[in-house]
Amino acid sequence: MSWKKILNITGFLTFFLGLSMGFPLAVGIGFSDGSALPVMYAMIVTLVSGAGLIFFSRSSAEETIDKREAMVAVALCWLAAGFAGALPFYFGQVLPSFTDAVFESFSGFTTTGASVLSAVEAVAPGYLLWRSFIQWLGGMGIIVLSLAILPLLGVGGMQLYIAEVPSPVPDKLQPRVRETAKTLWKVYILFSLCELLLLQACGLNLFDALCHTFTTMPTGGFSTRNLSIAAYESVYVDGVIILFMLFAGINFSLHYQMLRGKTLAFWKDTECRFFLLLVAVLIALVSWDVFGSIYETFGSALRYSAFQVVSIITTTGFATADYEVWPALSQLILFICMFIGASAGSTGGGMKCVRILLGIKYCYKELFSLIHPKAVSHVKLAGKTIPEDVMRSIMGFLCLYVLLFVVCSMLLAAMGVDAVTSVGAVAASLGNIGPGFGEVGPLDNFSSIPLAGKWVLAWCMLLGRLEIYTIIILLVPEFWKK
Amino acid sequence: MKVLIIGAGEVGFHIASRLSIENKDVVVIDHDQQSLRRVADQTDVQTIAGSGSSPVVLRDAGIKEAEIILAVTDSDETNLVACLVANILSPSTKKLARIRNADFDNYHNMFKDQPPYIDTIINPEIEVVNTIERLINVPGASEVVDLAEGRLKLVGVRLGEDSPYARQKLSDLSERSGGRLFLVAAIVRSEKMIVPRGNTRLMANDIVYFISEKETLGRSLKAFGKTAQPVKRALIVGGGRLGLRLAKRFEASDIKAKIIDADPVRCAKLAEEVHKTVVLQGDGSDQELLAEEHIENMDVVVSLTNDEQTNILISLLAKRMGAANTVTKISKFNYIPLMSTIGVEQVVSPRLSAINTILQHIRKGKVLSAISLKEEQAEILEAVALSTSDLVGTPLKKINMPKDTLVIGIIRGEEIIIPSGESVIHPEDRVVIFAQKYAIPKVEKMLAVKLEFI
Repeated sequence: MSWKKILNITGFLTFFLGLSMGFPLAVGIGFSDGSALPVMYAMIVTLVSGAGLIFFSRSSAEETIDKREAMVAVALCWLAAGFAGALPFYFGQVLPSFTDAVFESFSGFTTTGASVLSAVEAVAPGYLLWRSFIQWLGGMGIIVLSLAILPLLGVGGMQLYIAEVPSPVPDKLQPRVRETAKTLWKVYILFSLCELLLLQACGLNLFDALCHTFTTMPTGGFSTRNLSIAAYESVYVDGVIILFMLFAGINFSLHYQMLRGKTLAFWKDTECRFFLLLVAVLIALVSWDVFGSIYETFGSALRYSAFQVVSIITTTGFATADYEVWPALSQLILFICMFIGASAGSTGGGMKCVRILLGIKYCYKELFSLIHPKAVSHVKLAGKTIPEDVMRSIMGFLCLYVLLFVVCSMLLAAMGVDAVTSVGAVAASLGNIGPGFGEVGPLDNFSSIPLAGKWVLAWCMLLGRLEIYTIIILLVPEFWKK
Repeated sequence: MKVLIIGAGEVGFHIASRLSIENKDVVVIDHDQQSLRRVADQTDVQTIAGSGSSPVVLRDAGIKEAEIILAVTDSDETNLVACLVANILSPSTKKLARIRNADFDNYHNMFKDQPPYIDTIINPEIEVVNTIERLINVPGASEVVDLAEGRLKLVGVRLGEDSPYARQKLSDLSERSGGRLFLVAAIVRSEKMIVPRGNTRLMANDIVYFISEKETLGRSLKAFGKTAQPVKRALIVGGGRLGLRLAKRFEASDIKAKIIDADPVRCAKLAEEVHKTVVLQGDGSDQELLAEEHIENMDVVVSLTNDEQTNILISLLAKRMGAANTVTKISKFNYIPLMSTIGVEQVVSPRLSAINTILQHIRKGKVLSAISLKEEQAEILEAVALSTSDLVGTPLKKINMPKDTLVIGIIRGEEIIIPSGESVIHPEDRVVIFAQKYAIPKVEKMLAVKLEFI
């Protein structure tokens, strides 16, 4: 294990994050809201620690990085980002404790959107911008971003990319990983710009439009309003955000293909079709369920259920309605949505549609071979056989996901949190959604969770964001054996 | 700049990794998932599973944007069909194919002028025979590279314990050898390549790469304690296509050769094909047979059977029984670094030869040739010095050369200069530069040329 190389990468990333604090700093100065000074302190600390890491880990040898080192490096980068991101909140005393600041920051970078802030509107714009901006950075992945703009990651870049974007069925948009990363970011920026313009057209001011764009495209879910999107009470705003949450929940390589003229790429892709159909069916079910019982008109039933289903299944976590007062079926559907998640290769979290789809197909294959013991059959996706080892890794992922959900919710319950809240909070953190159920529902926040519980949840967010393997493997003793 | 490589075997893998280091967009196509995974894990390229001769796969891989397609699968037929399909889909793409069957030898040019218009056909066997010929002409060398049409030679030799140069500083060497006979370009010490400075000391067991003019090569070798004697008698073990080719080459250059093969039918065929070469039927590792054929008088024993373990054993046996020199064919790349530790110095590999030749062929522009050395740790580039280049007009010692690079030769018309710190490069000189792999982009910059391809 070459720690020098790993720390070097971490150092560069930290330094870069320090630089990116210039953005909230500028906004803080612009609004003269008192956030400028704390953000500047945070920026200095981050820059100095980044530079220090780079300095102490410098080496002349040009080494590439292997798989194991890449996993450690990616995990360390995300930890560094989480802690560096907490500094502005901590120095600015926006949040009562360091734990809260770290929780908020992890929730930001992992695009979870679970907040411990109770009165968002009272917080200075500088901090709010940083809170939204880190979601935007984390959405497409900080490593992918570094790959695109920092020249230091050579051949090892591929290993880092895989460790951060562990797509079950790997696809590379371009022959080279740097070009792939650049392409992804270009598409991401393009969509963000479109959303920004549309939100402004709907009447949001530049600051609100920018902050919400920063949290929609990465399927993050932080808002600058206490009531989240409900505060705008506008069908158009709801519509624009639903549309862009859906975009963000679709594999970005499909967006790329679409932009290159293959307009039917969405429909031709099996996973995407599954995702869109699933969303449509779930919206229909929830609308039918809430129509009459909660909402008088079918139009508003459709509007609120569509927003909530899309918001949860894409793992964004914006709210326009308190779904905790909805009938049981709707609540259960939303709870299951938390597990399903968006498409692979999107900015969304959860288990990912393609894994669910392949898991179902695999189960069917098992049943089929019970009926026809001699049959030779493969699990296929879009006519292509999924290799056995990919299938194994997917089943392993699904099992680990459920296992971690069970263990962590029990941990939380052991800390005195009630059952519904424990289950909801862990599902919402692991899937990078944000609001859960019970005391952490759409109208509440996470401030009531005990201190230790916040660390457990922050860890769950990181696990979910890096799709479990990259983080969990660091806890396996075998990994560290020479 | 996009390159399509068909076949993810050793040749495809190594070319892909080289080109990806040089930031080319590489797409590798193979139907074997296992080989593809190895390529995808270790290099930064795109991989596509499928048949390289399939038009659908080629179109998906982006043949239209590709500038070069390299068909290097193990099957001649697949390579030919891939080129044919590529020619239909994208006639402007340059095509390069590996064709091994000797029956095609006379048709290479025809494939160039008629469909499928293959621009370059590589036959690794011909390349291996060339390599063997170069090696046996420089006894004691583990690697020989021709530069400037053969007027300059880069030779790798292993310093023995008794070499007069062991434990000497490089700066003292030229005095001891009397004038500038040669220039040490690199040293390989415990498998790591070092580009030396004046105060670097040579050690016993180092492999020293030095450059020397063709005429003075004998004296340079003598200075290193290797005496050059022309090869008169040779023994070839293994009468396959390669053995037969080599036997014919030996006949052409008046070397008395014997060829051993175990298969009586093959021997009959060999006897038909060759004229002066003695064909022996028997086991190449049979000591009695080797003694009977006076192996101790052989100047070189070349083992070319299809089994590398046998080849290694035969070479060790031949050395023990008194043969002056051995050349061993090894196909598995992983074995090559081990060879010097067990005393097998001169190794040839058809795949390695193919890689070198392909790289030479696809380099273009102001770079005249490029050769890779020592499992591709380093490369030698021969290029024309442009007047815009930083290299021109200043004595070499004042030029800030990138780390791990060295100017090892200057060719000015008919004159060949082995450079010292005082040498000045003129515009339009051809310079030979030795560079570690990672420093190649810096050399590109220095030369103010892009290392372009066909």
